[in-house]
Amino acid sequence: MLNEDKMKLMTGIAMFEKKEGKSIFPANRYFRSDYISSRMLRSFFSYTCCYILCVMVWILYSMERLLNAMNLDEIILAAKMAGIGYVAGLVLYLMITFFVYRRRYEYARRGMKVYVAKLKRLEKRYEFQSRTKELTKEGGRYDDVSRA
Amino acid sequence: MMMFLVLKEQLKSFYGRFATFSNGAVKFVYALTGFLLLNQNLGFMTQLKSPVVPLILALASAFLPYGAISFLLALFMLAHIYTVSFEIALVTAVFLIVVALLYYGFQPGDSFWLVLTPMAFLFKIPFVIPLLAGLAGSLVTVIPVSCGIVLYYILQYVKQNAGLLTNDASVDITQKFVQVIKALVSNQAMMVMIAVAVAGVLVVYLIRMLSVDYAWILAIVLGTIVQLAAVFVGDYLFDVSVPIGELVAGAFLSVLLAGIYHFFVFAVDYSRTEYTQFEDDEYVYYVKAVPKVAVSKPDVRVQRINNPAGGRRARR
Repeated sequence: MLNEDKMKLMTGIAMFEKKEGKSIFPANRYFRSDYISSRMLRSFFSYTCCYILCVMVWILYSMERLLNAMNLDEIILAAKMAGIGYVAGLVLYLMITFFVYRRRYEYARRGMKVYVAKLKRLEKRYEFQSRTKELTKEGGRYDDVSRA
Repeated sequence: MMMFLVLKEQLKSFYGRFATFSNGAVKFVYALTGFLLLNQNLGFMTQLKSPVVPLILALASAFLPYGAISFLLALFMLAHIYTVSFEIALVTAVFLIVVALLYYGFQPGDSFWLVLTPMAFLFKIPFVIPLLAGLAGSLVTVIPVSCGIVLYYILQYVKQNAGLLTNDASVDITQKFVQVIKALVSNQAMMVMIAVAVAGVLVVYLIRMLSVDYAWILAIVLGTIVQLAAVFVGDYLFDVSVPIGELVAGAFLSVLLAGIYHFFVFAVDYSRTEYTQFEDDEYVYYVKAVPKVAVSKPDVRVQRINNPAGGRRARR
């Protein structure tokens, strides 16, 4: 027999999963620190890649100047500047990553609470149903008791 | 007004019935517009120029997510640029990779702003993007919109200097590189348009969030005025020439489009606003409730009551 109540609940849960699942499920598999640090590691690699690409473009851009004025001091200075720029940008980007993913983790945790609450309600529904079935079984109640 | 509301309801029910089909159709149109615009404005690679290629790619795009469509468009654009000049293709590719890694690592899923922005510029309605971004998105949309503007100016540069770039075999690669980067970085029109877009998104977003009556309409109008003013200020400060007639016409069209978006997404009836006030242990709440405009779809059915043939039969 169709149970409308249960169907509504299950549809609600499925909708919730579909909408929020993307943000919740990657987060709830980890502890907060693990989740954030894994994201920060990823950010570190993508930032480094981008920086290397940009430096390559810059080298191509100033190739002529570099070749003409082959001055060691100048090159060392440029390398220093590049290093400082790299570190400063990295710190900034990692900080942004940290704050963004910390917020997302909190959001996911709250979503998870809602999700668990929904599941519990569904579970109760199931319990209620199986109990009613047991009680309304033909002569079930007393037989069960006598058997026990 | 009533007619539009009914139309909206009908569209809604149509979408409800054919959601998968409509999504595919929208993606198809979106991708086809992108490919055709690229062909029309760049179109240097003759193999891609024939109308069959965009059509096939757009058909395939109907089944792809938006991120993948953006990726296809980017490859298509790079192929065209590469035919003209390896240097610009390299710079563009680096730019796209940096944006993809640094921004889309965080926020996958709004790559359409990156595509829609150059499209709006090519259709001469640049102001519509900040308006829509402010109405639909959050403040972060400023980033993809700005990147879209940079892309548009790269396209523009390639289009204008195509002849120069292909014929200049005598100039060596490093010099060409310097030329390209200098032209892109020192493009003041681009800087002005980025500033305009940022100002537009900020103003629209902040006003939309206010709890005053007609906040959305106010946001659209003020956003457009701010953008126009910013363009004129930029024009004055940096000596960037802008065609005024085209600009005003574009602004007008942008307001119209933003108005249509507003109508479909946020139709509320301010004349029936209700205020209420209550409190709990910790707070006092001042609630303003604005009802949404709702009409039921007219359901016209003709039922004939006096059917003569049936009546006679019944009497027998």
